[in-house]
Amino acid sequence: MTENKGQENWVPKIVGIVCNWCTYAGADLAGISRIQYPPNVRLIRVPCTGRINPFYVMKALQEGADGVLVSGCHPGECHYLTGNLSARRKFYMLSNFLSYIGLEKDRVMFTWCSAAEGERFAKVVKGVTERVKALGPASKLVKHL
Amino acid sequence: MEKQIRETAKELLAGKKVDVIIGYEQGTLPLQATPCFIDNVDDADKLVWNAFCSQNLAKYVHDVIHRHKESQVRVKPEERTKKIVGVVARGCTTRSLVIHLQERQYSRDEIVIIGVPCTGYVSKKKAAIRVDGAEILGSAVSGNDIVLTTAGGDTTAPLQELLSDSCLTCRFNNPIIADVTVGEPAPPMNVDAEYHDVVKFENLPDEERWAYFTKEMAKCMRCFACRNTCPSCYCKVCFAEQSQPNWVGVGVDDTDVQMFQLMRIFHMAGRCVDCGACVEVCPMGVDLRKFLKKLDKDGFELFQSRAGADMEKPPILSSFAMEDRQEFIYEPEEHA
Repeated sequence: MTENKGQENWVPKIVGIVCNWCTYAGADLAGISRIQYPPNVRLIRVPCTGRINPFYVMKALQEGADGVLVSGCHPGECHYLTGNLSARRKFYMLSNFLSYIGLEKDRVMFTWCSAAEGERFAKVVKGVTERVKALGPASKLVKHL
Repeated sequence: MEKQIRETAKELLAGKKVDVIIGYEQGTLPLQATPCFIDNVDDADKLVWNAFCSQNLAKYVHDVIHRHKESQVRVKPEERTKKIVGVVARGCTTRSLVIHLQERQYSRDEIVIIGVPCTGYVSKKKAAIRVDGAEILGSAVSGNDIVLTTAGGDTTAPLQELLSDSCLTCRFNNPIIADVTVGEPAPPMNVDAEYHDVVKFENLPDEERWAYFTKEMAKCMRCFACRNTCPSCYCKVCFAEQSQPNWVGVGVDDTDVQMFQLMRIFHMAGRCVDCGACVEVCPMGVDLRKFLKKLDKDGFELFQSRAGADMEKPPILSSFAMEDRQEFIYEPEEHA
């Protein structure tokens, strides 16, 4: 993922880890509704945010992602009832911990986005991309081969 | 106290209440008591209790019980036996035992806890600094002082100054759960200062924190001593050695080391009891506590729970509530 680093026309690469039932469907809706949003997010579909191992986020950063976005169903709307509630605790701790070791706060973002919120999804991607662009290419935790 | 521990151990062994007692014996090196396994009454006099008992014995409880369980796999179900383990446990050790019990690693009737109030153990690193890195040939505690013997003579220091950082601000120096308690409850430590280090670090700018993190992690040579001594690290296959997926690269890249530490430390969220065992065994002196303590602080501030402090309270990451805080959730700006 590091091939376009150091180039003048750098654009961020953002890994979006999203849940199958809400955010992935939301992204689909944004697509079929023809809403424009930046093409910088690569989505990874997982069954539920509760299934996301915090290691995924760390590993994505090491492999060269400039930003990581995690999104799932709103609390109370989880397809598996409580998956996103346990995810919420996990990611609160993770978010605090990553900024504690000195990682920029905006590199790793968490949000909720339901299947009906195509517009919100586009806004989220736009917002996250802008923030990561403002930070510039990732340098911390990135493995250089 | 030592005498009482020996008496209790003898009683338990003689009464066939336990198969083995895990405690500390006189170590072969100064400043270090060695964990020992006592399975007959005559050996019980080996047990010691002093300011050099730095290891967290819950680790061995888990090891012994699980090794026994594995040995029973090929035995007919009706002939399987249970191994009852007795353990000499101070506050942090009992917290680790609580975590094991909550994580259903073994049942309460498989362990007998000899609770010991604790006044802290000596940090080998602080002792080494005290004698300017000279080799310590002997150590003895007399009253509130500790005498360190080196080739250049004796150094006397107040015991309080050489206690491990975890002990100085320890909140749970008396056992949380115990079947037998020996001695008088220990006086409280300086709990108000518990998070001072963390708060100070939190207030530094990003770049300084990152510089400190990379500096500390650059020392790590991945000997895995911290993992091997940690009672909460009991996975049969550790992510650090897993190859599918390959979480941690085997190369010498700085980020591989950072990734190992980051993942191991984060694995301790809601599970680290701040016993200081990892810090004590680290041969490179990595400041692990600075990062582990942050998880403890967050766990308490966000979810009002401390690891292993209460048998009834589930670990923070194994439970949830609808009304949990979620300020960290990103809300897209309206203009976007």
